[in-house]
Amino acid sequence: MSFWKVTMKRSVKLSKSYFAIGIMMTIYGIGLSNLMSIIPSDSANPAPIELSNSFPILSVALLSLSALFVSLPVIMLFVYDKNNGVLEYLLSTGLDQLDIFKGYVKASLALATYLLAFAITINTIIGLFLGTGLSLVASMAGLTFALGISEVLLVSVCMVAFSSLQRTPMGANQPLGVIIGIIPMFPALILPMVFPAYAVAIDLLIAAATLIASLALLFSYGRLILREKLLP
Amino acid sequence: MQKLELQEVSSGYGTQEVIHKISLTMTEPSIYVVLGPNGAGKTTLFRTICGILKPFSGQAKLDDLDLFNSKEARRRTAYLSHLHALPEEMTVFNTLKYYADIEGGDVQHVLDLLNLNELRDKKFSSLSQGQKKRASIGKIFLRERDLYLLDEPTSNVDPKISKEIREQLIELSKNKFVLYSSHNLYEAREIGKYLIVIKNGELAFFDKIENVKTKQYRVGIKTLNSISKLLPESKFENGFYVLTVDSPKEIAGIVNNLSKQGAEIIEIRELDNPLQEFFEEG
Repeated sequence: MSFWKVTMKRSVKLSKSYFAIGIMMTIYGIGLSNLMSIIPSDSANPAPIELSNSFPILSVALLSLSALFVSLPVIMLFVYDKNNGVLEYLLSTGLDQLDIFKGYVKASLALATYLLAFAITINTIIGLFLGTGLSLVASMAGLTFALGISEVLLVSVCMVAFSSLQRTPMGANQPLGVIIGIIPMFPALILPMVFPAYAVAIDLLIAAATLIASLALLFSYGRLILREKLLP
Repeated sequence: MQKLELQEVSSGYGTQEVIHKISLTMTEPSIYVVLGPNGAGKTTLFRTICGILKPFSGQAKLDDLDLFNSKEARRRTAYLSHLHALPEEMTVFNTLKYYADIEGGDVQHVLDLLNLNELRDKKFSSLSQGQKKRASIGKIFLRERDLYLLDEPTSNVDPKISKEIREQLIELSKNKFVLYSSHNLYEAREIGKYLIVIKNGELAFFDKIENVKTKQYRVGIKTLNSISKLLPESKFENGFYVLTVDSPKEIAGIVNNLSKQGAEIIEIRELDNPLQEFFEEG
C-alpha cells in the first residue's frame, strides 16, 4: 500500500471525532442547501431579494468546511510523526521532504474527496427530488468540489509549512495554518448573500484564488522547507 | 563492502555548521564506537552520512558510491535514531510493515530474528520501553544493508535487552560497518573495535580502542584481610584498596606480589574507564 494511503488510514483511525464533526457539518450543509425548496413561497408578497438561487450557494462554503474538518487529522499526524522521529527515518530511507510532504497532502485531499463526493451526491439527489433547477444543482456540485478541494489544499499546505517552520517541535504555530486557510471561507459565506446575482462567480473566483495560492505554496515547498525542519 | 570514506565533511542545520571538515577512512567491517560529549556533533554526523542532512561541503563514499547523491548508497545504509520512530498507534507487525511497504523488506524475518513474535499483534504504545526499543531496532533489519548508523541503541533498556542488542550488533559487524554512538563507556569498550571521538564538531580521535592510552588507571582491590601495610600507597574507599598505576600491565605484578605476601584477593576492579577522558572538556 502506498505511503499516502497508509497515512490516510492512520489519520481516520487516530481521530474519529473530526470525521464525525465533518459528517454532521455535511448534513447541516445539505439541509441548508435545500432549505429554500421546502419553505413555501408567498407569491402574493414576493421577497425584495430573490434568495432561492443564492441561498443554496451558502452551503458550498459549509460543505467545503466539512471537507476541511475531515482532513485535519492528517496534518495532526504530520506533526505527531515529525515529533516522534518517523519523518526523520523516512528521510533516511531516501525520501526527500517533498515526497513526504506530498504524501500527507495527498492523504488529506483523498479524505476530502471522499467526503465531498458523498456530500455532492446526496445533495444532488435531494435537490433534484425537491425540484431545484438542474443548472443550480450542477453549479453547486461543481463549486462545492472546486472550493472544497482548493480549501483543503491551502489549509494542508499552510499547516504543514507552519508546523515545519516553527523553531521548537512543541511550538504552537500549526493552528495558524487553519486560521489562514479558513480566511477565504469568510467571503464565500457572506458575499453570495450580498451579491446574489454573482454568487456562483464569487465562489468560483475564491476557489480559483485559493487554488493558485495553495499550488504556489506547494511548488515552493521544496525550497521553502529545509530537510532539518522535519527532524524532531 | 570494503570501504567507507568521509572527506572533509562539514554539515549542520540551516546556516549553523555543527561538524567541521571531518575525514575518516574505514576499511574493516567492524563496530566503530562514536564517543563525545553532548552536543559534540555525533547525531549530526550520523544524519549527514545517511542523507538526512545535506552536507555543507565534503564527500562521502561507500565503496565507489557517492553516499550523498546515490540512491543505491542510501539503500545500503540504515539509520537508527535515539527515538523509536515508529507509528505508536499500530501493532508491532504493522509498524514494521509500514516501513517494509516503503523501503521493502521481510517483516516476519525481523520478528523471528529479534524474538518479537509474541509481541506481533500488540499495539506499540502498550509495550514496555525495552520492548519498544527491540521493535524499533527491527526496522533496520528489514533489509540487509552494508552500513549501520546507530545512535545510542541501548539507551533506556534493561541490561538483558541491552546484552541481546549488543550480541546482534557484534554478529552484524562481522561483515558490515556499524557506527555506534553511546554514552556507556564500558559498553563501548566491550563491543567496539575502533573508537571515533568527536569534540566540538571536529574529529578528535580515530584509532583502535586497544590503542587508547590513558594518563592513569585507578584500580580497586578487594580482599578478605587487610593489605594496608602491604600496599601503603593505596587508599581504602568503599571496601576497596584503591591505587593508581600508569599502565594496566602493572596490575598483574602487584597482584602477584600481594598474593605471595598472603593477601586474600576476592575482586579486582577497574574504577575508571580509560575512555572517560574523551568526555572531559578541553
